[in-house]
Amino acid sequence: MTRKIVAAVLLVCLLVVGFRATGPVPPLGPFLDPANGVWGGAAATSFPVIQQLSIDGVQAPVKVLFDDRGVPHIFAASEDDAYRALGYVEARDRLFQMEAQTRAAAGRLSEWAGPRLLDTDRENRSLGLVWGAEKKFASYDKSSPGFKAISAYADGVNFYIAHMRPRDMPVEYRLLNARPIKWQPIYSIYFLSRMSLTLGFNDATVRRLKAQSFVGRAAADALFPVNSPIQQPIQPSGTSEPRFDFAALPDPGKPDSSTVAVARAREAMLNTFAFRKPTETADAIGSNNWAVSAKRTSAGHALLAGDPHLDLSLPSVWYEMHIVVPGRLDVAGVGFPGVPGVVIGFNRDVAWTFTNTGSDVNDYYEETVDDTAHPSRYRLDGQWKQIEKRAEKYFDASGRLLATDTVLFTHRGPLRRELGRWLSMRWTVYDQSHEPDNFMRLGYAKNVSEWLAGMRDYVVPTQNGLVADRSGNIAIRSSGKFPIRPGDGRGDVIRDGSVSASDWVGQLPVEKYPFSLNPAQGFLASANQQPVDPRVNASYMGSDWYSPWRAMRINQLLRADSAMTPDKMRRFQTDPGSARADVFVPFFLASAAHADSVGRSDAALRSAASLLAKWDRRYVRDNRGAVLFEAAMTELATRTWDELRDPKKKPSPGDRLNYPEAQVLVELMRAPTSAWWDDRATPEREDRDAIVSASLRAAYEGVLKTNGAPTTDGWLWSTTRRANINHLLRIPAFSALDIPVQGGPSTLSPSSGAGTQGASWRMVVELGPEVHAWATYPGGQSGAPASVRYKDRLRSWTNGMLDQVLFPKTPGELDHKRVISTLTINPR
Amino acid sequence: MNVKTFVKFILLAEGFAVATYGLGWWSVPVVAALWALFSGDPAKARFAALAAGFGWASLLLLDVQRGPVGVMGSQLAGVMKLPALALYILTLIFPALLAWCMATLVPSVRKGATA
Repeated sequence: MTRKIVAAVLLVCLLVVGFRATGPVPPLGPFLDPANGVWGGAAATSFPVIQQLSIDGVQAPVKVLFDDRGVPHIFAASEDDAYRALGYVEARDRLFQMEAQTRAAAGRLSEWAGPRLLDTDRENRSLGLVWGAEKKFASYDKSSPGFKAISAYADGVNFYIAHMRPRDMPVEYRLLNARPIKWQPIYSIYFLSRMSLTLGFNDATVRRLKAQSFVGRAAADALFPVNSPIQQPIQPSGTSEPRFDFAALPDPGKPDSSTVAVARAREAMLNTFAFRKPTETADAIGSNNWAVSAKRTSAGHALLAGDPHLDLSLPSVWYEMHIVVPGRLDVAGVGFPGVPGVVIGFNRDVAWTFTNTGSDVNDYYEETVDDTAHPSRYRLDGQWKQIEKRAEKYFDASGRLLATDTVLFTHRGPLRRELGRWLSMRWTVYDQSHEPDNFMRLGYAKNVSEWLAGMRDYVVPTQNGLVADRSGNIAIRSSGKFPIRPGDGRGDVIRDGSVSASDWVGQLPVEKYPFSLNPAQGFLASANQQPVDPRVNASYMGSDWYSPWRAMRINQLLRADSAMTPDKMRRFQTDPGSARADVFVPFFLASAAHADSVGRSDAALRSAASLLAKWDRRYVRDNRGAVLFEAAMTELATRTWDELRDPKKKPSPGDRLNYPEAQVLVELMRAPTSAWWDDRATPEREDRDAIVSASLRAAYEGVLKTNGAPTTDGWLWSTTRRANINHLLRIPAFSALDIPVQGGPSTLSPSSGAGTQGASWRMVVELGPEVHAWATYPGGQSGAPASVRYKDRLRSWTNGMLDQVLFPKTPGELDHKRVISTLTINPR
Repeated sequence: MNVKTFVKFILLAEGFAVATYGLGWWSVPVVAALWALFSGDPAKARFAALAAGFGWASLLLLDVQRGPVGVMGSQLAGVMKLPALALYILTLIFPALLAWCMATLVPSVRKGATA
């Protein structure tokens, strides 16, 4: 009898845990099922060698050959068929990632994770991204190639979802106990809006306002200037560069308490977006691209290189593809899973890549509302205007309503209450645009001019588009909508929302965009620096630009070599040299020598100076000098910018995010007795040499204490800086962590402190009679963590190597030994 | 185990495997119930449990042939903070317990109905 009772109770328990999730544990039945569950998914990580299927809407057979790098070569009779096939294969490889990104952009993560992510969803929607994307989608020209492509792509994705076997379900869905949702064409627009948040959300205002609250307006303006004090612009100015446009920094002024609330409000707004919250200084992040004209290359063909840097993730943010529509389109490169087409890549005639411009395209307005608690109207030019209200509903996984918010909008954009003030935001991402069409057009370009024409009406996020063609031409243009503001034209201030005179008055004409075609120097480069010399074009495009260390280094390398090769370009992408170190090391050494000469030196300072003097300024993995230099730079910034911290609080690592760019520190170096050098915590008045030498000494003692003697492994660069590539769900078992990498702050492949930023794609293209390309990215084509193609490119990426990209004109031209799978998609 | 029993065991194990493949995990207790219904011997519950575990083991072996089950196992073990071996054991014990429970309960239900 007991046996039967035990069996009955156990059966009930097994059926419960079999059918239902228990806490974080998914339903065990479908999970453990070796035929249809997670184990069966292991079999689904590899493709059948030959596969045939029929998809609704396909007009003619499509052949998709997967090469041994996992890249699909799609041969189709029309673009429509090609994008339908692309939707299918991207869903097969990256379905979970596509949906995760869409949910993040659409503020629907709580439908997976419940109340835990409700706040994130609320903030996402209150920023107006969904509102903007829906407006954009509704007004999208339905007959445009871009719209047709996202529709065909959605069909392909949905065909895959509808016909996937249970075992094909990505493991993440099983862990979340979720099922894929039907793909809508608007999801591609959601994703692009999210990229605009990543790349086109300028936070210069908040740093300047915070500084203003401590040291007044004049000092804050100088610390976070509109124009870089070191000029190495993207558009060569024709004069000797870099140019050091140094001015005397005004002394710290009186705190400006009027900005405290606004600064905090802005900061609060930024901080609510965990993924937008800055965690790295500009020295640790950044993208590069450069091109060399035919006359400066060894083979006499133009060369182009690009390495856009983004948050690193597994699966990778990119998916590599090759799309051929005979007689019309033959384009290869990478695009975003979830958005059809190649964003960065090449065709038979041109190659292109982007870096982020980082221009100021979002502004804030302080609004006057009729009711500070529950406003329904806002004041504009003496009249009350109705506030647009939008109900946002949030559900959990079971469909239960978690919350309903009313999001408010003025004619400018979302209206939010921050610390008692009502701020509305104007942002180019809310404006009508059609990026899918822009990106698609690039694939058809036959030369540089056609490529530039394809980007003429591009809007957001602003990008430095670099292009080279087979005729040896090279060009670069910073493209996108650059708003023109009234008055002084600056966007890094909070404007009065009660008058329409505060609104944008237009946008910069394309002819005024930073641009260069075939410059006399024979090369072009961009690395997120200020795009144009203000002496050439004084239009306001932004402020607080990244220090141009990487740009200086690229220019230095390219200027020194008039016989460039693809392999040299590849090596430059992970070049360990640092213009920043070249500038700062002499200051440290001079201050140590000065301390010696006035009898203020000691053994620690002398040892530190000796080590630094021997340092070759290269951030290679086995280097032992970089650790000391970086510690000294951190000390220097902390000691110099003490005026920008709350004196009642102890310095914290996060403070560095509020300090000015290192180029401003160089500017200050010219004033050895400036009041900025004084350490407020001491009764004495320090000067430059005292602070610089004290920083070096403290750095040496600190590294000695934490890392051991200079001869130990603790001083190896590889022990301190590592890449950490997290899975989208931050599951360590699906991530690639602790990877020693070459490069440091401000090198061409900057490695950040957290190691979560880096080159998301590296590409070199040679535009000869035949186009040759080499590329890699940190990850692999498959989104399945157990797949051999999940992170198979990580090794080449870590070592700065590139794989040759296969670029066959026909299916028959692809070496059959390198084909791992053939998929034929027939009309249904 | 004689040849007849051995053949029975293999057939039952493959019955579990085929049913799981075609219908899903929930077919395990169904097959066990049918088995118990026709064999009518509560002592055969252990036999059914072993066969169910064996059936799923054979499916797992097929997966091993077709994909990186080992990698998957160690990754999932990492996610669930379990030793990888525990996950494999759980995969085999789960159907075995389901089958055992059903094979234990069904004969008595049948007996009750007959009485």
